[in-house]
This record gives sequence, structure tokens and C-alpha cells, in this order.
Amino acid sequence: MFELLAQTSLNAIYAASYISLVAVGLVLIFGVMGVVNFAHGELFMVGSYVVVALYADRMVPFFVAVAAGLIFVGLLGLLMERALFRPLRDNPLGGLVASIGFLMVLQALAVLGFGVRMEHIPPVTQDVITFADKISIPVARVYVIVTAIVMLSALWYFLKRTRFGWALRASAQDPEAAALQGISVTQTAMIAMFIGAGFAGMAGALTAPLISINPHMGHSVIITAFIVIIVGGVGSLEGAVLASVVYAFVHTFVTTFFDGVLADITGLALMLIVLIVKPTGLFGSADRA
Amino acid sequence: MFSNILKNGLSRRTFLKSTAATALAAGLPSIALAAGEPIKIGFLAPLTGATAAWGAPGLSGCEIWAEKVNAAGGIKIGDNSHMVEFVSYDNEYDPAKARTGATKLIREDDVKFVMMLGGDTWPGVQPVADRTGMLFSTLLPSDLSPDTTTLLAPTEVHPIYLVTGVQWLAENKPELKTAVMCAQDDALGLPSVATYLAAFEAAGIEMQDEPLLFDPATTDFAPIVTRLLSTNPDIVCLDTCYSDYVHPICEQLFQQGYKGQIISATADFYDQMIAKTSKEFMEGFIFQFPDFDDPALNGDNINFEDANGFYEEYNKRFPGQWGAVSWEYAAIMQLWKAAAEKAGSVEPDAVLAAMKDGGKGKHAFGDADWWGTEMFGIDNALVGDWPVVVIEDGKAVIKSFKSIPAWYEQHGDLLIKHMSAYDQMWNQRG
Repeated sequence: MFELLAQTSLNAIYAASYISLVAVGLVLIFGVMGVVNFAHGELFMVGSYVVVALYADRMVPFFVAVAAGLIFVGLLGLLMERALFRPLRDNPLGGLVASIGFLMVLQALAVLGFGVRMEHIPPVTQDVITFADKISIPVARVYVIVTAIVMLSALWYFLKRTRFGWALRASAQDPEAAALQGISVTQTAMIAMFIGAGFAGMAGALTAPLISINPHMGHSVIITAFIVIIVGGVGSLEGAVLASVVYAFVHTFVTTFFDGVLADITGLALMLIVLIVKPTGLFGSADRA
Repeated sequence: MFSNILKNGLSRRTFLKSTAATALAAGLPSIALAAGEPIKIGFLAPLTGATAAWGAPGLSGCEIWAEKVNAAGGIKIGDNSHMVEFVSYDNEYDPAKARTGATKLIREDDVKFVMMLGGDTWPGVQPVADRTGMLFSTLLPSDLSPDTTTLLAPTEVHPIYLVTGVQWLAENKPELKTAVMCAQDDALGLPSVATYLAAFEAAGIEMQDEPLLFDPATTDFAPIVTRLLSTNPDIVCLDTCYSDYVHPICEQLFQQGYKGQIISATADFYDQMIAKTSKEFMEGFIFQFPDFDDPALNGDNINFEDANGFYEEYNKRFPGQWGAVSWEYAAIMQLWKAAAEKAGSVEPDAVLAAMKDGGKGKHAFGDADWWGTEMFGIDNALVGDWPVVVIEDGKAVIKSFKSIPAWYEQHGDLLIKHMSAYDQMWNQRG
């Protein structure tokens, strides 16, 4: 039983890692820009396909492909900010609808470029770290965990210790006051979009060798991300990370000890309970909610 | 009728009669073939999406088959020869799209026969079949019921052929005594689960856990594999998981240190699985679909024409794309062609009668019987022998042909028991 619990915990830590990258990105975008980006799951998908195109098809080193995924999807985020969200800045519902349209565009482009068959890309490494003979974690999953910790720590430092980070947080707290202080709303929106989208793309790129890649894979990712940010608190980065861990552990343990369908139901039930008991989420604030 | 209208005007009764006649004629498949007119065959299967591996490669195989047949003069119906061509419609494994596709193929494309994967898509198509009387084929005999009088399962007999793999496993590896199983929770997975449970029980292999049914949207299989391995099973059964699940599950089995036996319905693109795991890990993997360059397919019992040549041509034109169904739809066409030529007609009833004449048919893997009344309520499945395939030294090899009817004669009660428990008998399905 101990081995089963330990193995399941390792599986959950891996899941929490990539979920937190996606969720933090989504929270950052909503927190600063006040818009719900429904195309966030597709940004994850694009990150995976960058790895397909570079690492699988052109033998580019994996971590170079991951970095390219982060940058490319970050730039895609800038495009979204400029073309979709900026013109609709005073119309959050319009921004939401526009993001839905953009997700369909991204899916269609993925189908056109890569077809609809699931892509299976070569493993980054077949090395496995084994504990006590029965508990194992593939090194490829360790890469995801470590990268997530490093990137989230870097984001924390950026937000807490740099002027750009303070500007982002100020814009998230009170955009009007921030603007009165001379903080460029457009600039902070662009930074938030680049980082938020880039994190989603990086999560997709890192997990690409570990999942089946297809143009519609973003659907389950965005559902999970929404559950996490609602549970964690809309607009709270700390809440997103904590909720990612909670959700990943709940989902993984229920899948392992019961089944995956029940795990999905449990995740949704968790979200409903939080909405009833504390509608702002575990760490959310009333105004942003 | 027209002269009456001209003389007496259009009465309500005349209007209703003429409208009904027009609608009926529009719904029925047209029967007559003009000399030289090509015979169009409908290919209604998933060409995209998670189940595309069980549709698209089959269409490629049909193209090769059609070129060969046309080069030899086509299909002879009466005194005339007709070229054959395929009209495909991607139903994306969606019943509503399948219904739309069936209607289009019959009404607009004037096909004479429609081949399908079946499964979740058949319920969408059945009303069209009932209305038009068109002859359909499915790869999944679990679609059959007493109501499906124009639906045949002449090649693949999923899931009942799965018993042959377990039977061979029990005979050749009697030391393996425990098993676990996982499957996606859908119309492909559930009847297969029931069949494997019956086969394991017949072989005296103990199931260590309830079959683990997972959401078809699953992408991370680590928790599922952790659960499967928690009881240290001798055998992990992958049921009829889509090939896009078999690959990541096998990877996880490899990464979590599994060293036991794996059995599955399919192992499409097993060379990719070997690349992601190892030749040693995949050694002994049991499944049910041979590569057609296997010398065992040159035997006198085999009714698939020039299996090795077909495989060679397929791999030349579609490298790396050979899968479980690459030959199946072409095999169905062989049967259809023979029946249409025998009947001297492409009319569905005539072809159906010719195909089932005498209760026997020439299945790709040997002479077989039209079978299934007890299991499906109708004897529209062509059932005989089925190969057991094992990966040895990185290559799929046919180890044996096993008789499905012989297994059923001994253990059919178990199969009915488990099918009933999962609501998969013909009289339980909605």
C-alpha cells in the first residue's frame, strides 16, 4: 500500500506541475486584463505542436524546442492582446467571445498543419528514477516538475521584486489607479499576455513527449484550468498554485483508487462546493470575483 | 397520373399519392446499372479523430483493391463489366454525422453498398438503413440485432475473436494466472471487456480487479497504469483501446517497470511502440491483427487474394501506415464482389442472398459460417478462424489460427453471461 500511495503521489506532483503552469497563466491574464481567455487550452496545444515541429520533425534539441514553444506562444499571446483584447478592453464579454473564436482558428490551423491524428513523438529520455524497487518516476516527468518549480519561482520573484512586476500587480488591483500613477495599461497587458500565454505554451511543450497530441487536446486542459482558478480564487496566483496541487492530488488519487470518470466528477464537485461555501475561491478577493 | 392532372386538375388525393411515390423513390437505392456505369461503394467511417486508425487505413486498402480489380476488367454483373470506385465520408465516429453521411452516399452518390466501422455510429445510421434497404457492413458484430437485417459483419468479428488470443495464451503460457484490464468507456470498449472476461474465466485466469474503464478524453495514463500494476498481475489486458491509448499505456507500463505479459486487441504502429519502449519490453506482446507479409497467409485456407502482394503494395504507397484495418474493408469488398457477380445484380437483397447462400462464406482467414443467432439475434456475422499474433524480435508473427465457433461451443455460456452483465447483448442495447 505504501508503494501505491507513493507512486500515486509522484503522479499527482507531475500533474500539479503542468496544471499550475497553465492555471497561473490564465489567472495572470484575467487578473491584469479582466478577460477570460477561452483559447488558453489551445495555447497549451500550440506549445505541444511547436515541439512536434521542432523536436520530433527537425531533431532540434528538446529544451531548445521548449524554449521556442514558450517564446512562440508568448508572441501569439501578444498578437491576441493587440488584435482581440485591446480593441475590446471595455467589453470583457466581447473579449471572451473573441477568444472562443480564436480557439477555433487555432484548432483549424493545427488540423491544417498537422492533421487530426494524434502525434506520438520520440521520448526525450527513457531514464527512470526508481525508489525502493517499486516506486518510479520517468526523468521526463522530473523535467516538467523542476521546470514548473523554477518558472513559478521566477514569476514570483518578478512580481514581487521588479518594477514591471509591481506594475502588473498594481494594474491587477486597480487599473484606474495604476493608470493615474503613470503605469501603462497597454504595456502591462502585453507583459501579462506574453507571460500568461508563454506559460501555457511551455506547459504544452514540456508535456508533449508524455501525452497524445491532437488539435482538440486543449479542451480538457481549459476545463481543468477553470476548475482550478475558481477553486483557488479568480485573480489569485497563490490560489491557482495551491488549487492546482489540491486538484491534481484529488483527481489522481480518485483515478487510481476508483476511476477516471469519478475523478472528473469529483473535481467538478469540488468546484461547486467552493462556489457555494466561498464564491470568491480559497484565496480570491470579492472585487475581482 | 399526369394526364389525369392535366384533365381534372390536381386533386388532394393525387397530390398525396404523387408526393409519396416521389419520396419513396428518392429514398430507395437505385437498382439498375447502365452498361459501363461505375459501381460506387460507400466508405462511411472515421477518417479523422481518435478512431481514424480504424477507418482511414481501410480506405487506403480499398484503393489498392479497386485498382487491381479495375485493371482486371472490373466487376462483372450479367453481361457487363463495371469499374468500381469508392466514395468516402468522414463520420468522425459521430452518429449524427454518420447519419448525414449515409443519407448523402445513398441519395446523392448513388452507392450500391456502404461499408462502416460501426460501433457508436451504427445507431445513427440504422434508421437510414431501415428506410432505404441499403446493404451495410460493419467491423463490429456487436452492432447486429434481429432488426439489422441489411447489416453484415463479414470480416472482423469484434469482439468475439478476442477469445482466441486468450486461449492461445493459456495454452502456451499456463504459468500466467492473474490478469487486470483497462478500456475506454464506449461502444468499442464495453463488449470487448465482456468478451475478455469470459475468455479469462474459460482459461482459468483470475481477474485481480474490476476492469478499469477510463474516460476517452484521458491524456495522462500514469494513474491508470499505477492502479493496474498495484496487484502485481501476470497479464495486463488493454482490451480494445484505441491505438492512441495503447501507445501511452504501454509507455507507462514500461516506465513503471512492468515486465509481464501484455495482451490487446490491436497493436497498430507497434514499431513506434518498440521505439518508445524497447524490443525486449514488447517481446511476446499478443494481439489479433497480422502484418500481411506473414508466410502463414499464403496457406490454402486463406481466402484473401495475394495477401503478401497486397501488403507490399500497401507499404510502398502508404509507408508506415499499415494497421489493423488496412486489409479488412478490402476483404469485405472481395466478398461483396463475388456475391454481386454470382447474383448478377448489385441490388442489396440479391447480393445479400448470394453472400449468405448455403450458410457459409469465404472469410479472409478461412471458410466460415454465417453465425450469430444466439449472440446477436441474427446470423449475419461470418465467423470462423482468427489469427493469434505475437511480437517476436520486433516483428508481428502469426502463431496460430484458432476457431471461434469451437471456443463458443465450449464456453458460449460464459460469453453470454458477461455480455449480459455489461448490457451488451443485442436485446439489451438501446
